Order: sequence, then structure tokens, then C-alpha cells
Amino acid sequence: MIKRFIHQFASPKTYLFQVNKVYRYIFYISLIIYSFSLTWGLLFTPEDFVQGNSYRIIYLHVPASFISQSLYAIMAIASITYLIWRVKLAAYFIIAIAPIGAMTTFIALISGSIWGIPTWGTWWQWDARITSTLILFIMYLGLISLHNSFSNYEKADKLLSWLVIVGFVNIPIIKKSVDWWSTLHQSASITLTDKPSIDPSMLYPLIGCIIGFFGLIICLVILSSKYQIFKRERKKSWVKEYV
Amino acid sequence: MKIFYLEHLKLRKKTRSWLGPILVFSLIMIAYPLTVEFLQTNLEKSFYSLLWISILLSMMLATEDIFLEDFSDGTLEQTIISNTSFPLLIANKIFIYWLMIGVPISFLSFLFSLSLTQDFNLSLSIFPLSVVSSYIFLNLFVFGNALSLNKGSVLGAIITMPLALPVLIILGKSVIAIEFGINYLEFLLLLLGILSIIITIVPFIISYVIKAHLE
Amino acid sequence: MFEFAFSSVREAIHMNGHGVYVWTVFLIVITNITYFFINYKNKINKIKNKLDASS
Repeated sequence: MIKRFIHQFASPKTYLFQVNKVYRYIFYISLIIYSFSLTWGLLFTPEDFVQGNSYRIIYLHVPASFISQSLYAIMAIASITYLIWRVKLAAYFIIAIAPIGAMTTFIALISGSIWGIPTWGTWWQWDARITSTLILFIMYLGLISLHNSFSNYEKADKLLSWLVIVGFVNIPIIKKSVDWWSTLHQSASITLTDKPSIDPSMLYPLIGCIIGFFGLIICLVILSSKYQIFKRERKKSWVKEYV
Repeated sequence: MKIFYLEHLKLRKKTRSWLGPILVFSLIMIAYPLTVEFLQTNLEKSFYSLLWISILLSMMLATEDIFLEDFSDGTLEQTIISNTSFPLLIANKIFIYWLMIGVPISFLSFLFSLSLTQDFNLSLSIFPLSVVSSYIFLNLFVFGNALSLNKGSVLGAIITMPLALPVLIILGKSVIAIEFGINYLEFLLLLLGILSIIITIVPFIISYVIKAHLE
Repeated sequence: MFEFAFSSVREAIHMNGHGVYVWTVFLIVITNITYFFINYKNKINKIKNKLDASS
């Protein structure tokens, strides 16, 4: 039964119909959650003792950097699905996610470096986290440029999914190696995971921000996958009927 | 054995593609002391980072047209149809490239390191590191080149450069280990481990990628 | 938990000198997301119009 469900859902047509039903709810609910917890975080939480008011960037920075990595994992799952079962929808997903992943990584980098000015006194530090995020950003750009260089979509999908898988194998290695390397130049940076406990009045809006941002990103992925479906399958009759 | 010989002959006849990277590498190494104010300490300070990066770049240069000729004259299609194992052929090709470009460059890096630092033991331990790392770089860049087969090598280099960064980090760490007299062998073993994984997997991936190109 | 952290709106914008950073990041995030939403909506509409014209 599950298999049948997956088979049905994997066809772009049913996917589009199902997703169109829920899209509006996801969008409005996550917009409400995001804006509510963002105003809560930016205006209604107490000031941090160490960092002052600049810590409020956490509510914008953490969701972006969290999602930028999970999007890559989703891409890797999609590309494995595409290579093994030849699910077309998975191939649409890979290229639909790539620009959005690049955008979130960009946000994470920019917000992190702006946050660095008041807290570290420098806007860029070659420490482990920042370097691996930068590499992730470059990888996203590489994926997009590889896909754009082919006019034949099927070939591009296949090559792209191979690259995504190889890149995904590489990501833990990059993380680990960058950690070894940064132990030499010990930087006095404050990383988020090192905080032993975060006050609940600051934690709840953060969780809300992550959930809301994730919902918005899901909406973006739905939109861009819709665009991919229309672009690739415009010759099919059901698309013409649907429009 | 026959494939091995044929590939060797193919590369040897294309003088530009095996001599070019070696010459570029040695030119970078010769140009380096000219850019530094002539003090020995200044020279030694950043010599090894330059060495690794120029090995990386010359490997990138070496793989520039590794599949291009075979692709345009139809040899690749023929080998896929014929009985010979395609991943084996690719592994062979990479091995030949390493033998004719990677090993000489490693030897040259030993010589340059000796001439610039006058430290025989240090330079001697640079040699295995550069031999192993050049093989890893070759594999990675050949993968990038297979992805962007007829689209120019710049794209392939952009794609695969992030994959080579961990190796550079390990190399940097091992040089510091050598300079402080710590045992650098663990880093060499780590590189060998990475290499052994890469050697077994990458030819298969490349063969799938090229098949996707030819479909 | 829901007290307003600042005594006035002006202070909320200033944030003891950190307001510049917080609000620039805020603006960057919001503009990026809205730009992407509008961009994709436009692209979808364009394709829809093309299909309408062709059918």
C-alpha cells in the first residue's frame, strides 16, 4: 500500500494536485509562525548579558544555516532516488532545490559575517564553521552552473545527481578536516553549540523561527518544483488541461 | 597489458598534455623566489602552501583534455560497446597520467624543496606526500572533467575544487607536523586511506557519468 | 516573557548601537525571501501564459 502511494505520488501530476491543496495552508501558517516568533525574538526577548542586543541576529541566522545543510541532505536523497528508481519527480526536485539552497546559504553567510562585526570585531574569520559553509555555498553554485550548461535535461539530471552524491560524501569529510585544521589557529569565536543552556524565553522564539522559516522554504521549494514541472512537461496534455 | 601500453603511447604522443603541466609547475616554483624579498626565512614560510597549490593547479591542467579526444573521435563509444571493462580502462588512464605527470612533479617538488630549504629529511618526507596527493587530485579532477566533458575544463574545475579542499587541509597539517618533528606518518596513512577509497570508487562513477553523456 | 524589551520605538531601532546590524540582516533576509517568491510566481505565470497562448 505504501509502495502504491509512493508510486502515485511520484507522478508529477498527482504531486501537483496534492501539493496545490496544501500549499496555501502551509504558506499562511508558516508565515504567521515566522512573523510572530520573529517579532517576539527581535523585540520582546530580554537583552543578552554578554553580546548585548546584537544577539538578536540569532533569530535570522540560525534557521538559515540549519536549513542550508538539511536542503543538501534532501537533494542527496532525491538524487539517490532518481538514480536507482528513475523517479522523474526526484530529478525535478534536485534542480528545484539548488538555487534555494544557495540562497539560504548566502543568507547564513551574510548574517553570520554581519553578526561577527559587533561580537568578534571582525566580519570574517577562517574558522571551521564559516569555511565549511562557504564551501557548501560554492558547491551549490557549482551544481547550478553544471545544470545550466546542458541543454539536454535528462543528461543534466543524471550528471547532477552523481555530483550531488559525491559532494554529499564529501561534506562530513570537509566538516571533520576543517575541525582538525582550525585546532591549530584557535579562534576565540563563540559558536552556537557551545552555549551550555539558552534561556527558555530566548529558546522558544528561536524554535518558532526555525519552524516558520522551514515552512516558508518548503513553500519556495513547492513553487520552484512546480516551475520545473511546467517547464519540462509543457508538451504533455495534462499540463495544458491543468492550465 | 595491451590497454596499458596503448594508453601510455597515446599520452606520450601528446607531448603538450604531459610536458605542459610539468613545465608550468616548475615555472611556478622558479617564479616563487623572485617574488619574495630575498631572505631565507621569508622563503620558507609559505613555500609549502605554494607547493601544494601548484601541484593542485598542475593536476587540473593535466586533466584538461583527458577524455576530449577520445570523445570526439568515438573511441569512448567503441570501448563501451566492446568487451573491455570500461572502469578498468579509466583507472588505467588515470594511472598512466599519474605515472607520467604526477610522479615527475613529486620528484621535482622534492628537488625544489631541497633547494629552497636545504633540509634533506624534510624534503624527503615531502616526496611521498606529494605522490599520494597528486594521485588523489588527478582522480577528483578527472571526475570533474567527465562531468563537463565537452563543456570546457573550467566548469569541471569549479565543480571539483571544493572536493579537493580536505586533502589540502591534511597536507598543511602534515607539513606542520614534519616541521615540529612530530610523526607525520599518520597523515600519510590518512591520505593513503582516502586514496584507496577513491581509486576503487571513482572509476565506476566516471564510467556511469560518461555513459550518461553518450546516451 | 512578553515584555517589550525597549522603552521606546526609537530605542528599539537603535538597540544600543547594534540596531544597524540587526536591521540590515533583517532586511537582507526579508528581501531575499520575497524576491524568490515573486520571482518564482512570475516564472510560473509566464509559462502558464505561454501555454494558454499555444493551446
